[in-house]
Amino acid sequence: MFANKTTRLLLLLVAVVVLAACRSGTSTGELQGTVLDVPQEKGSFVLTDTEGAPYDFASETEDSLTLLYFGYLECPDICPVHLAQIAEVFDQHSDLAREAKVVFVSVDPDLDTLEEIREFLDNFDSRFVGLTGTHEELAAAQEAVGVPPARIFGEGDEYTVDHAGWVIAYAPDGLSYSIYPFGTRQTQWTNDLQVLAALESE
Amino acid sequence: MRITVSRNARALLASLLVLSLVAACGGNESQPNVAQVRVGAPTGPNAAVYFMARGYDEDDVLVSASTDVAGSVEFHETTTNDDGTMTMQPLPSFSLPAGGELILEPGGRHLMLIGVDDLKVGDTIDVTLTWQNAGEMTVEAVVVDPADTMGDG
Repeated sequence: MFANKTTRLLLLLVAVVVLAACRSGTSTGELQGTVLDVPQEKGSFVLTDTEGAPYDFASETEDSLTLLYFGYLECPDICPVHLAQIAEVFDQHSDLAREAKVVFVSVDPDLDTLEEIREFLDNFDSRFVGLTGTHEELAAAQEAVGVPPARIFGEGDEYTVDHAGWVIAYAPDGLSYSIYPFGTRQTQWTNDLQVLAALESE
Repeated sequence: MRITVSRNARALLASLLVLSLVAACGGNESQPNVAQVRVGAPTGPNAAVYFMARGYDEDDVLVSASTDVAGSVEFHETTTNDDGTMTMQPLPSFSLPAGGELILEPGGRHLMLIGVDDLKVGDTIDVTLTWQNAGEMTVEAVVVDPADTMGDG
């Protein structure tokens, strides 16, 4: 009886330790985002960065874990959540932060100035890259990476922007294996950024 | 000294205790029970407020909201279109059915504070909610990092 109880206690202890190890933030090796059936090549486009300089997306982000997101500054609901979640992972994994490129594209060039985009991103991480361009350049960029083009409706109080709600992730090998829709949990981000960072180009 | 209490008095005291506990637990059945009130730290001109309201014994409607720290407050809902894009549209009010729930959360319904002051994580702000039947109530919202508005830790 005593032996049984001890065994049970030991088993329980082992289970607790195993569970704790699983939850300690080490990656599981499997992607938890929305995995694409066929990995997508990185698209190519040129927009203007917050310094006013041209930014060639494909060449600037070559060999880097890259996260690409299209949004706009007056979006208080979902845009900040994605960026804050990514910033939180970087806070805890400085190695990832050094290697990764986070690129936010404002699809609302009429309202969002380069300076405002910079201020917005500095709320999260001053290393985040901010881009915008003309409506034509933005349409070309969205087409190049395969997201539905953002649409701007109305003005004043009725003003709203429909935009893709997901973040596209590219591994350092230049391929996108997964995307991150709104509602992605912090634990999924933490896992997947580590898994993707390990997919080096050969 | 020993205090003696008759059996009847003890029963009375016990019922009083139970009643006061029920009252303290928010068993008030004449107004919505609003919990988990939070506002994402502003990253631009606007900020979003989220909460969970539990209905009481009659239907009610949240008709307006206000706060000293923003120019105005609008009711918005983010929805996902067929092509996966997300859109935000204004709504005139939010319904709270009797005994039901009204959940305001990221990617869904929220109060949008227009022209919000600079708020820091950890600050608290007062938000006044006006219900069609229950009238006005003021709740305290905690300013949280946008990553924590999801209630995800």
